[in-house]
Amino acid sequence: MLNRNAEALFWIGRYMERAENHARLINVHYHLQSEDVNAATQPELYSGSDALCKWGRIVDALGSRTAYESQYASYNESDVVHYVTLDRDNPNSLVVCVNHARGNVRTLREKLPSELWDVTNGFYLWLREKGHIDFSRESAHQFFGRIKEWTALFQGVCQSVMPRENEWHFIECGRYLERTENTLRIMQSISPRSAAGGSGVEEAELVYPYLQAVLKSVSGYQAFRRYYADGVSHDAIVEFLILSTVFPRSVHYALHTMDEHLRGIELLDKGLRTAHDRIIRHAGKLKAELACLELDELSHDRERGVSKNLLQSTQQLGIAFAQTFFRMGEVSA
Amino acid sequence: MSMAAHSQFSSYDSTSFYDEMFDRERSVRPHYEGVHRLFSRMKPYELAAKHATLQQRMLEEGITFTLYAQNQSEPLERTIPFDYIPRIIPRHEWESIERGMKQRVKALNAFIRDIYHEGRIIKDGVVPRQMIIGNKYFRPEMAGLHVPQDVYMTASGIDLIRDEKGRYYVLEDNLRTPSGFSYLYKGRSLMSELFPDLYLTSRVADIERSLNVFLSSLRSLAPSGKRDPFIVLLTPGAYNSAYYEHTFLAQQMGIHLVEGRDLVYKDHKIYLRDLRGLRQVDVIYRRLDDEFLDPLAFQPDSLLGVPGLMNAYRAGNVAIANAPGTGVADDKAVYAYVPDMIRYYLAEEPILHNVPTYILARKEEREYALEHLEQLVVKETSLSGGYGMLIGPAATGKEIAAFADAIRRDPGRYIAQTTMKLSRSPVMLDGVMTPRHVDLRAFVLTGSETHVIPGGLTRVALTEGSLVVNSSQGGGVKDTWVLNR
Repeated sequence: MLNRNAEALFWIGRYMERAENHARLINVHYHLQSEDVNAATQPELYSGSDALCKWGRIVDALGSRTAYESQYASYNESDVVHYVTLDRDNPNSLVVCVNHARGNVRTLREKLPSELWDVTNGFYLWLREKGHIDFSRESAHQFFGRIKEWTALFQGVCQSVMPRENEWHFIECGRYLERTENTLRIMQSISPRSAAGGSGVEEAELVYPYLQAVLKSVSGYQAFRRYYADGVSHDAIVEFLILSTVFPRSVHYALHTMDEHLRGIELLDKGLRTAHDRIIRHAGKLKAELACLELDELSHDRERGVSKNLLQSTQQLGIAFAQTFFRMGEVSA
Repeated sequence: MSMAAHSQFSSYDSTSFYDEMFDRERSVRPHYEGVHRLFSRMKPYELAAKHATLQQRMLEEGITFTLYAQNQSEPLERTIPFDYIPRIIPRHEWESIERGMKQRVKALNAFIRDIYHEGRIIKDGVVPRQMIIGNKYFRPEMAGLHVPQDVYMTASGIDLIRDEKGRYYVLEDNLRTPSGFSYLYKGRSLMSELFPDLYLTSRVADIERSLNVFLSSLRSLAPSGKRDPFIVLLTPGAYNSAYYEHTFLAQQMGIHLVEGRDLVYKDHKIYLRDLRGLRQVDVIYRRLDDEFLDPLAFQPDSLLGVPGLMNAYRAGNVAIANAPGTGVADDKAVYAYVPDMIRYYLAEEPILHNVPTYILARKEEREYALEHLEQLVVKETSLSGGYGMLIGPAATGKEIAAFADAIRRDPGRYIAQTTMKLSRSPVMLDGVMTPRHVDLRAFVLTGSETHVIPGGLTRVALTEGSLVVNSSQGGGVKDTWVLNR
């Protein structure tokens, strides 16, 4: 396999995962009552610049606040939704992610199962048709639901027909690395208000819908219930999203699965094998970092330093991955 | 204030009953302005599209109930008719309802505790002994039994109606296995998906945390204060008409959905039989009537329950929510005494009033009622669900005569109530807003805190003029919004 093929596969995995993640996050927040409403009724709880509300945090979670501000004047629903879904000038928008994935599949068409092209192409064409989303006409829920279906279709095709060889492992490495990053980003975007906890029924009532939205954005609501029952709190959610060994969107699970696929890659070139071993060690370090986390560190982490450090380490792993296998030395998104 | 001059409302009559949306002058009530503006501006094709999406979503999610009728071989699976014009309750109104609910449920719980212990209220002559021992839902097995936290009803459903002046009255208390939670929650999520703008700008009180409170309440029942109790929802099975609701609640609360055959009794404990072996059950949220819970204690031929369950319960090794025997307080005859209970146990005046009720076992009240049947509503005291009921103003002479006979034969089985002019709320029928009668089932959850789910379930009688809102009798539902200030 050519280096550039490996890179393309890796990014196919990443882009499709990113698209799914975007859709989940926006959908849940879209239907969350704005904290602006609460801000109006409880100004003492929502003072200061954090009243930037959910739209600002969606942009945060998708990692591009500076870029957003250079294009748009304010954080409002229609601008943010457009920016993260259909804005072709945003390198991270849904349509751009899917377009990149499609472009990459195209360069590998003869090597990949034909169903994979059909799905990716169909997805892109469908999304392109949307052109402009008028949510007053169309249900936002249906739109994002459809996106999740497309990405599920893509994953289903990979799962059921791809030979378990390097091609497969590269796609999966991309997918799970992206997932690790995304879950960490979601945690970074948790409102510091809800993190501050506080007691009293009134405060709990204000924060609850928001915490629930965080869980729902990763489809973790039902799984969380099974392990934490009625203990819906900021700390429990952070613990669950980072450390759960069974929930497939937790940082722990995503990182370990990525590691398995990383080890699955088979190489003939001796020099490359040395580099491969190095990056496996790199991933091992990150796993160890996670394994050594004390619950105390998580629960006292009001500044979200833990998830920030993990996010940085994950990003470095991504760069190391690119340097090892693609020898380009830079990441293209 | 806008007037109801738009086409969808043109033939709307808001004079003879209290209307939730319009006042007597046909002006839109202030808390309905946003909703009225939206729906009166929507074009017929837009309304049709929303309706189609709604139906589609309900079928996809399997939000259905099963209808059994004697003369048909296969039961019908129906989506519950959901009307997308929300019922809106302003904050100040809701706060008074909420206080009234908490007060009522507190008194009812005290009553049940009293009945199964000292029986003070009977000794003091406030409630006649006959009301209790003659009551089909009285469970002697519960006498002297301590229930965890003294909480008999974890979940109660109180039905409210409004008269022509808009005053709220309690129509009935559902204290055994009240249903409707799932329609309330699904209704809300459908509304927020179909009309996100309206929903998001309306400042609707959140209901999601209530599910957490529900779960906390169940957990608080765990025997000997166990910290991480194992909770199951006991369902009669997939053929039950409310099965969708059982799956919904189990899923949302992360508790196990089980049938009687999944549970075993051993050494005065209840265990769940699963692939990993036996696991002790601490709390059972049952959606099964008392008489089916345990064939050894109650109905011997029942296959739905768990033989030995009551033994384990008596031994204090498992909690049951709601406790067996709560039906003694939601009987329609006992209902008439609830205001007295509130005064007796809490030394407070009732915040919410009962519908004026005649107890037909009493001679004078019976004679008055028999003479005025065409103006009254007659209800059987031992049945629920709206099957055994006479609505005087809507009944034929023949039906009235038949009921009069039945009352004379067995007067203790019936009560009569003044026919209330139930309030009306607009529903969308074929693209036209049409007034229909509504009630409100409000849900009270009791654990370490007493919590009323903001809003509750508005039920609609979809047939013109009908006052029957039960889903088994062709009623529909609406999402109910309590507005924050």
